[in-house]
Amino acid sequence: MDLETLLSYEWSLMGPEFIIVIASVILTLLDLFLPKKFNRRMLGWFAFVAVLAAIVSLLGLLDNQVGSILHDTFRLDSFAKAFKLLLLVGSALVLLLAIDYEPKEGLTEYRGEFFYLFLTGLLGAMIMSSSGDLITLFVGLELLSISSYILAGLRKKNLKSNESAMKYVINGSISTAITLFGMSYLYGITGSTNLNEMSGMLRTLTDPQYTYLLGLAFFMIFVGLAFKLASVPFHMWAPDVYEGAPTPVTAFLSVVSKIAGFVILIRIMVSIFSSIPVGDGTIPMLFDLQDFIGFLAAVTMILGNVVALRQRNIKRLFAYSSIAHAGYILVAFTAMSYVMFDSIWFYMLAYVFMNLGAFAIIQLITEKEGSEDIGHFAGLYRRSPILAVTMAVFILSLAGIPGTAGFIGKLNIFLGALMVSPSHYVLASIMIATTVVSYFYYFGIMTQMFFRPAAEETKLKLPAGTNAVIIICAVATILLGVMPQLAFDFLQTNFNQFMDFMG
Amino acid sequence: MTVSGEFIAFLALALVAIIGGVLLLNLKKVVHMVVALVFTFLSIAGIYVLLSAEFLAVVQILVYSGAISIIMLFGIMLTKHNDEDEGDSKGGGWRKAFLFLGVLAFGAVFYIGIYNLDFGSAPAALHENNPEQIGIELYSKYVIPFELMSVLLLVAFVGAIVLSRNDEKEEADKE
Repeated sequence: MDLETLLSYEWSLMGPEFIIVIASVILTLLDLFLPKKFNRRMLGWFAFVAVLAAIVSLLGLLDNQVGSILHDTFRLDSFAKAFKLLLLVGSALVLLLAIDYEPKEGLTEYRGEFFYLFLTGLLGAMIMSSSGDLITLFVGLELLSISSYILAGLRKKNLKSNESAMKYVINGSISTAITLFGMSYLYGITGSTNLNEMSGMLRTLTDPQYTYLLGLAFFMIFVGLAFKLASVPFHMWAPDVYEGAPTPVTAFLSVVSKIAGFVILIRIMVSIFSSIPVGDGTIPMLFDLQDFIGFLAAVTMILGNVVALRQRNIKRLFAYSSIAHAGYILVAFTAMSYVMFDSIWFYMLAYVFMNLGAFAIIQLITEKEGSEDIGHFAGLYRRSPILAVTMAVFILSLAGIPGTAGFIGKLNIFLGALMVSPSHYVLASIMIATTVVSYFYYFGIMTQMFFRPAAEETKLKLPAGTNAVIIICAVATILLGVMPQLAFDFLQTNFNQFMDFMG
Repeated sequence: MTVSGEFIAFLALALVAIIGGVLLLNLKKVVHMVVALVFTFLSIAGIYVLLSAEFLAVVQILVYSGAISIIMLFGIMLTKHNDEDEGDSKGGGWRKAFLFLGVLAFGAVFYIGIYNLDFGSAPAALHENNPEQIGIELYSKYVIPFELMSVLLLVAFVGAIVLSRNDEKEEADKE
């Protein structure tokens, strides 16, 4: 390929990705050459500005038609744009938290590394969201995973952090191996890695033995990707890693990494497995295996919520709560209603704001106290009423109380599960039951904050970045709860029902 | 099923690869483990040759059997470590039996799927200009993932340095 053909591609579509790559390279060099005394926090602001620039560049691309570069190895469709927007907004908020992060034993030495590893992880997630080729999807997945393994272990002198990084690497590589094994069967049967070509090939497939093998590939890929979602059966890593990792990394894993997991799951499942005919050739495989996904969604919801009841460590509690939330989103994925993309997107948007807001406050308090026991939330209302009220908003939203974004998100998923025929009554009722169970531990935190006496009366000092995150998240959580049509109108006008997902 | 030379070679190589992997898990001394791993790598290279991917086989030998094993040996030499693995893994006979049954079931499920799978006729030009074909694909069609791999490599480098740097020493030097 000569230079002319290379330049003939529409590289401007990759604008946001280029901004992130360039920013991370510049950060690497700056971190290397700047004097030791230089405050590395400035690098964090640089990264933040880069993410903002990427958001602006992405917004500029919203009106573009579907575009692809080099045989779909990069593909910008509505799905990519919508979820990339979520990833970028989530990352910008996490970066603000990270700039203010100041653990007891210090992170001064590795602060620079933190920011550019963060950006490369984000890059991996973005690449995953806009790729129509198994190879690029896999490379993006690995880029995200390897960056997060290192991020989890950045507090080198903290034993828990070391343990969490080790567990994360081992569990992660096992799940990657399983995913790759499944993908290799897909490639073996279709002879292509391009998702569109593959689905075209598979439509004409009749040999039952191929279908059997594709079924195995489905299970392998689903189980492997369950790791990234932290859903059953690969959820065991989540509590330990969330507890040990630095708090901003925990926030990153529970929001950005989870969204990326769903993105790659939807990409592969919807574009490949919905085009494989099974049985008499009328039902696609994805619908045939719905019960299996539904079962995992149910187990994930039950396990996440029930085990969360016993947690005393706030980060472990939120780990189980995030497992449960993965279960709710899997319900929407199981139902496959025509509002699936919209309801998943909205739920994730709500999740970004409510979870990151909660993590901002968790980071503030655990840093101050040096321990992660729930008891430290006692009397927060006395110490800082505003903080307690905003935390209450996030918790109510996570629990799904009307008036907050979390409620609308859950309602959409719930209606989606009942809208299709045959309706998923069992799943919907499990979802309600587990939501009720989740009230116990969510409201446990609230009782601590409002009704227990404080151990000390010192006022909490709010750093600027954390403050901004809390305000943005609280406003967005309430706004999306009261006026959800804002988000849905945005979806309708810009993404047109995600019609170009397959084409 | 016809017994051809290729079939026998495949059986031998596959057997060595699996035995190497099992030994890696069961041996007690670190150096022995690395040797077992080298056997696995070499036999996988052999399987690549059978599949007419000679270039890949050579790379496999160079990178895995050569570079990676040597680096592992260096790592073993340069670090303090307990040579002997202490104690047996936990879990009683039942657990092992269940594990064995699980592995067996997994194997059986996949064996049913592939034992008489027919992929049709293989394309003829697989072995011709092996590196050239790979190069053309890599630098024309797959430029984006290829470039991303370089970012991935950078991340891996940074990670290795960050996680293995000895901070205590540096601080002592400063004082």
